[in-house]
Amino acid sequence: MERIRTKHTAADVVTRSHAAKAAERTGGELMKQARNAGRTVLLFVDTCAQLPNTRRILPQLMRQIEMAGFGSIVVLALIAGLTGMIMAMQTGFELKKMGLQENLGAIIGATFLREMGPIWCAIITLARVGAAIAAEIGTMAVNEEVDALRVMSINPVRYLVLPRVLALVIAMPLLTAIADFVGLAGGALVSQAMFDVTIAKFKESAILLLNGPDFWYGIFKSGVFACIIGTIACDRGLNTSDGAEGVGRATTSTVVLCVVFVLVSDFILNAFIQAVLRPIFG
Amino acid sequence: MSDALEPKSHRWGSTSLELPIVPTPPPEGREVLLRIRDLHRRFGPRHILRGISLDIYRGETLVILGGSGSGKTTLLRHLMAMLRPEDGSIMVRGLTGGDFELGEATESQIEQYRRNLGVVFQGAALLNSLTVLENVGLPLIEVDRLPVAQVRERVVEALRRVYLPAEEILGLKPAALSGGMRKRVGIARAIIQQPRVILYDEPTTGLDPVTVNGVNELTLDLQRKLGVTSIVITHDMNAAFMIADRIALLYKGRIVALGDKDETRANPHPVLQQMLTGSTTGPLTEGFGP
Repeated sequence: MERIRTKHTAADVVTRSHAAKAAERTGGELMKQARNAGRTVLLFVDTCAQLPNTRRILPQLMRQIEMAGFGSIVVLALIAGLTGMIMAMQTGFELKKMGLQENLGAIIGATFLREMGPIWCAIITLARVGAAIAAEIGTMAVNEEVDALRVMSINPVRYLVLPRVLALVIAMPLLTAIADFVGLAGGALVSQAMFDVTIAKFKESAILLLNGPDFWYGIFKSGVFACIIGTIACDRGLNTSDGAEGVGRATTSTVVLCVVFVLVSDFILNAFIQAVLRPIFG
Repeated sequence: MSDALEPKSHRWGSTSLELPIVPTPPPEGREVLLRIRDLHRRFGPRHILRGISLDIYRGETLVILGGSGSGKTTLLRHLMAMLRPEDGSIMVRGLTGGDFELGEATESQIEQYRRNLGVVFQGAALLNSLTVLENVGLPLIEVDRLPVAQVRERVVEALRRVYLPAEEILGLKPAALSGGMRKRVGIARAIIQQPRVILYDEPTTGLDPVTVNGVNELTLDLQRKLGVTSIVITHDMNAAFMIADRIALLYKGRIVALGDKDETRANPHPVLQQMLTGSTTGPLTEGFGP
């Protein structure tokens, strides 16, 4: 009996010690993530504080807009167009059963302008541009190029972060507008080809449901997403260490964090738009 | 160094090996530019710098020797004002007007300090997206905001000073240059603002012997012509004896030997002797290896 009790006690101790270690690890990880989040917010504030220096970074800004904007147009247009076509096809069959296929324009229009345009744009940008920014600045950090800038009294936030974040803030709303247009066009083409909904009817149906602010809400959301993607990518890049492995980690965590925070902010922004903006602007 | 990597025992007696030198008053005619006292730095459980005390004189070339993990780069990062002293102090004397302590310096004091500082990084740290002209002229464009023609003129002058064919390489990106050329471009960038102190972080690492000699000669040349104070971090003994006025040995986060070239050669400190002979037997390698 005594032996059994001793055995149980030992097992309990082992379990407790495992539990304590797991709790310690989880707590440590949470603290680390909280610190990282705080650091990213501070970087965004610092970036905003550098806005008066925008004229000094015009050449870098142009280069970044070219990289972030023009480089993404084709892939984004392709994805948006296909999404619009697939949506029209999937929704169209169901609507046709009820004789409601003339509402395709309203459904695809609302989905694209309010949600799919900004989200697709954010996903493409974070995967293509966000990861590239983190890898580029991360490589600079491990090669001591960021240190070199600091030693030369060149503020890395002004020189590296501001042009990249600003380029995304300028490029992403434009890309979103393109995604909206191409997505709607793809939907309209399939609607006409498969469900006999003319482009004029598609447009009329879309206009019935949508109003001016719907487009601008989407643009506003993509501006917020741009700030999130740019700041997270730059922060991860600037805080890269441990050589090539560290650059890989920075790139992966940029993509993961951007996806999470884009979706979280999308939820919050939608609530904000419904509760605050829509009663004012419609 | 973590406990796991710490050699278990020392045949040479670890206490005497790690005994730091006590700074002496500067010799007559020498003026202290940087005064480091009891500098400590920890990264988590690792105690990297364990009480460094050292005077750096104006106009001298001080070589700081040390094996891997001895704290050389951490010390250099303190001198670049990238890290603030955890304990202890780094006093800057007469470099930017008044004296001030780096650990308590304001942003503008640090900026002023860095304007008098040129740093040659281990891998040159050139920005890959910029041309040689933009790289070398970066501080003039971004900080001094000089007109393009003036920047070009100063860049050409700096490149010629480091014996590079300026006109041929101005438009090239760093990737198109050899390792030795990249290092020289890095040196040109370090001297473009006419600094009064140049920090070299292992300037000859990874270069072929001829280029190593070239970089060493260049270091000496710059010191003679520009009268700058040079602090060179290296583990290359030949380079150390070629360019140094004084040599300091950093071992386990402490300065354990300091002297001119002759004093260093004659110093019986086992770590120094092991570095001089390149022997695989000694305190630097004890507890490791097959």
